Amino acid sequence: MKLQKALSYSPRADFIVEVIQMVSGLLLVLFLWTHMLFVASILIGSNAFNGLSLFMEKNYLLPAAIVFLVLVGGAHIGAVIRRIPSRWAEQKIVWKHAKLIHHADTWSWLFQSVTGAAILALAIIHIAVVTYGGIDVIYSSGRIKHGFLVFYAVLLLLAEYHASVGLYRIFVKWGWVKRHKLHWVLGVISVLTVGIGATVLWIFFTMGVHA
Amino acid sequence: MIERELTFRIMRYNPDEPEKKPHLQEFHLTEEPGMSLFVVLNKLREEQDPTLRFDFVCRASICGSCGMLVNGRPTLACKTLTKDLPDVTTLLPLPVFKLLGDLSVDTGVWFRDMSFRTESWVHTDETFDPDAPEKRMDNAVALEIYEAERCIECGCCIGGCATANIKPDFIGAAGVNRVARFMVDPRDKRTEREYFEVVGNEDGVFGCIGLMACDDNCPVGVPLRDQLAYVRRKMASAGWRYQKV
Amino acid sequence: MSRYDSFVTDVLVIGAGLAGERAAVEAATQGLNVILLSLVPPRRSHSSAAQGGMQAALGNSAMGKGDSPDVHFADTVKGSDWGCDQDVARLFVETAPIAVREMAHWGVPWTRVTKDEHVYDGKVIHEDPENAGLITARNFGGTAKWRTCYTSDGAGHTLLYTLDSMVLRLGITVHDRVEALSLIHDSERCYGAVARCLRTGELRAYTAKTTVIATGGYGRLYGASTNAIINEGSGLSLALDTGVVPLGNMEAVQFHPTGLVPSWILITEGARGDGGYLLDKNLHRFMPDYEPAKKELASRDVVSRRIMQHIRAGYGVESPYGDHVWLDIRHLGAEHINTNLREIATICKNFRGIDPVKDLIPVRPTQHYGMGGVRTNIDGQAYGLKNLFALGEAACWDLHGFNRLGGNSLAETVVAGKIIGEQIAKFTAEASLDVKSSLVEEHLHRQMDRVTRLRESRDGTEYVYDLRREMEQILSHHVGIFRSEDSLQDAVNQLSDLHERAQRLGLRGGGHGGDPELDAALRLPGMIRVAYCIAKGALARKESRGSHFREDFPHRDDANWLNRTLAYWPEGADEPELRYEPVKITESPPGDRGYGEATRGPDSAKP
Ligand SMILES: Cc1cc2nc3c(=O)[nH]c(=O)nc-3n(C[C@H](O)[C@H](O)[C@H](O)COP(=O)(O)OP(=O)(O)OC[C@H]3O[C@@H](n4cnc5c(N)ncnc54)[C@H](O)[C@@H]3O)c2cc1C
Ligand code: FES
Repeated sequence: MKLQKALSYSPRADFIVEVIQMVSGLLLVLFLWTHMLFVASILIGSNAFNGLSLFMEKNYLLPAAIVFLVLVGGAHIGAVIRRIPSRWAEQKIVWKHAKLIHHADTWSWLFQSVTGAAILALAIIHIAVVTYGGIDVIYSSGRIKHGFLVFYAVLLLLAEYHASVGLYRIFVKWGWVKRHKLHWVLGVISVLTVGIGATVLWIFFTMGVHA
Repeated sequence: MIERELTFRIMRYNPDEPEKKPHLQEFHLTEEPGMSLFVVLNKLREEQDPTLRFDFVCRASICGSCGMLVNGRPTLACKTLTKDLPDVTTLLPLPVFKLLGDLSVDTGVWFRDMSFRTESWVHTDETFDPDAPEKRMDNAVALEIYEAERCIECGCCIGGCATANIKPDFIGAAGVNRVARFMVDPRDKRTEREYFEVVGNEDGVFGCIGLMACDDNCPVGVPLRDQLAYVRRKMASAGWRYQKV
Repeated sequence: MSRYDSFVTDVLVIGAGLAGERAAVEAATQGLNVILLSLVPPRRSHSSAAQGGMQAALGNSAMGKGDSPDVHFADTVKGSDWGCDQDVARLFVETAPIAVREMAHWGVPWTRVTKDEHVYDGKVIHEDPENAGLITARNFGGTAKWRTCYTSDGAGHTLLYTLDSMVLRLGITVHDRVEALSLIHDSERCYGAVARCLRTGELRAYTAKTTVIATGGYGRLYGASTNAIINEGSGLSLALDTGVVPLGNMEAVQFHPTGLVPSWILITEGARGDGGYLLDKNLHRFMPDYEPAKKELASRDVVSRRIMQHIRAGYGVESPYGDHVWLDIRHLGAEHINTNLREIATICKNFRGIDPVKDLIPVRPTQHYGMGGVRTNIDGQAYGLKNLFALGEAACWDLHGFNRLGGNSLAETVVAGKIIGEQIAKFTAEASLDVKSSLVEEHLHRQMDRVTRLRESRDGTEYVYDLRREMEQILSHHVGIFRSEDSLQDAVNQLSDLHERAQRLGLRGGGHGGDPELDAALRLPGMIRVAYCIAKGALARKESRGSHFREDFPHRDDANWLNRTLAYWPEGADEPELRYEPVKITESPPGDRGYGEATRGPDSAKP
């Protein structure tokens, strides 16, 4: 123990931040999956989708979701930012390092910060659009028709990638499952999520075309 | 068997000549049956360049002296056979550790420092009684201690760790494994809280971001992922119960 | 005078293997300042490579029942072919159990007695449930009882790591990557050592009240050896070069029966101890033909000779690296091999690409251990120079005589470390440090001069690695398992020539900083002198005893040779001078070992 630490230090600080990172991450993954399930209601039909969105509006679930995202997302960003090499020199080192040692998991971590940053930007746009534009089959399909298809496809892929890698990392770190099995399970979940998302996008897109 | 002509691109650096930038030098030699990098490097030194620096001691993957990056992968040179290598191989010293010259790095100093910081010895107040029979220990526990104690301090887990590459105080998998070794030892009387103060932080187990290059590269197969997870869980429970005094 | 770093301490221990660290711990516990020097980080010392275990008569395991220091004593003396010092052997066997338990107290995770039954050589063994949890033992060659305590496949590793943890705990100063080059002395008393930093190449002076040599073995004088490459006998030449300290019994060189062909990495005796067989080219298990009683587990010298004898009779398996035999452990089963003998499995896979669960292991006797070393008395004080101690493999305390039993060397390091460490502490507490700086400078100058001459190739341009290879070959060809007059005479002549050429070394590289060629060139002349002592001692000893086997004198000759060789290298001489001293016999008069040629005759068995 050093003096500066003894004076200012909560011995649990690092532990608490670690827990925040994990819990916020898990919540965000949960949110993502719920979100995907809700969106998937379009698979049942336009009425189901609109009904669900109406229900959410009535019960203030939409603003609640936004508050949730800001808080939890903020906490997550706050917690992970300490992990991201902040100095230019460090950035250079880690990229060089990843190139040097040919290690898949090391690359996936670098992508993690890149995808994280991208998701942040895209998600803000997404939320803004949804908040102002509202959620409705017509609006949504219209948006997707008019240039947002690529935007959503990218966001979907990034989010799912980031989520599954993050989950993988949590399970590995805590040693809850064997790595091999984990790869497999997460692979299946990712394919499912992306599959659902892609189908939904496609439906909206075709609707938009026909509208 | 057709004899292969092997090319080795070896990093050269002499701390006495800091004006000469580290650079790769190419060497060529003919492969022989059963050849390892131990044989290769000694041959190069004795026959081509007597100033080439590298470290071997046991040449049998026991002592941990010869960790280096073989085509980027941290591993023991003495147990790397040329038959498993392509025609062109790049040899670099392990990162993180102080470079002493060419492929030689100062792993010893790093590990000594880590051992001090983790207080790597059995903490007990009991004194040894030469007349008494030994204290009993279940063999399963002995094996568990040995599983962690098997680490040979080669530094491959450290050199391959992205976090260790940028955080000089991070004790890495070797350090966390070292703590695990004492945690499972009933002779060590340290409390969970005492361990928490040593490794329950960013320089310890919570600094690990779970890339597992250590687990993938450990040349003697210490189950580092399990050890890291074990210590992490222990420290989480200690952190949970931790009360400020 | 150029600048140099100098260090002052109570006790200077040269060598941070088990022996050096154990002695350092003892001295530091008694309140002395200690500095440990080592060529490598302490934990990389060769002690870490010992996989088999250490002997101590605990008698906890079923097969060790009834064991006692007396039985251990008898085995050790017999193993030494009555060449050992019996006072030392007695002290050793009595202390070994305490030393093992002390190491357990400090943290060694010794393998323990379990309640499970296990099968050995076809017999089921039931452990006494009363003893569950106590330190168990495995079988090693040349012992009447199972006495070798072990930690799975890493006895030396865990012992060294544990001792080093004590060194950390006590805050003992360790200077690694430092090589002692010469002792500072005035032919009466030792005052420390001149050393070279292997990182920077700079010379340093260490002055101490007491200096301790614990530098381990010299296996690398033989090209093919199970030893680490740092085992070059530099500690022995430190002592020899004083001109007044003798090396004892240098002709006693142990060959381990099972070195892996062709990397000569050791396959531990545990393989045979746990029930492995030796097979010839017809896959016939031949050891019972020669040694019906102990079979594969006669003492090492005997098994090694029997293998070579069998190979000479035409039963060896041909290979590009010379004929060899097979070691077969397949019948022990995958589980046993992958836990208790895991290191063997790993070595076979990594270095030979074979799996001992399914494949036969090619082995051949290989240089392994030097019984000889810096001759000391029972307190560890070197002959000839005051304030100098030696212990461990570097010393000839004389526990092993002409053949060391497997497991007795690890035991020697910690037992001697404990006993001699205490003597060192006692001695040092009363010693003073009054060294003239002119003496220190004189010794430093001598080494600086050597460095300059080598760098500038002032004396010649002989290449260190060429000479080195010649030395290795001379010893391997002429001073191996079977020895004879003509061949040994050849070796002596060639070494004499080589020693002269070694005075004309010059460097091909620059020799700046921590240059490896300079390291080697500084070391080589001393190595050749030690090799010379081995060859000359072997030529002079006209009998066969333990590992020293003369085809022209195949029997032990107690009337003329129940003595110990002392090799001196007087200052300025160009060859060693041999003297002899009697061997102390107290309890056990020379007799029959119960195995080996004396019992069965050198050409006894006809397979
Ligand atoms: C492969 C192998 C397996 C073995 N297995 C067993 C076994 O199962 N059971 C058993 O009883 N024995 C075994 N032995 C023998 C035993 O391991 C050694 O005899 C013993 O460990 C020697 O210990 P030591 O402390 O004397 O020397 P070492 O452990 O060799 O230490 C020597 C120390 O001296 C230092 N040093 C050397 N020269 C200098 C110098 N000039 N300046 C500064 N420092 C120097 C080195 O750096 C090192 O720290 C085995 C030996 C080998 C080779
Ligand atoms: S030299 Fe000892 S591990 Fe490679």
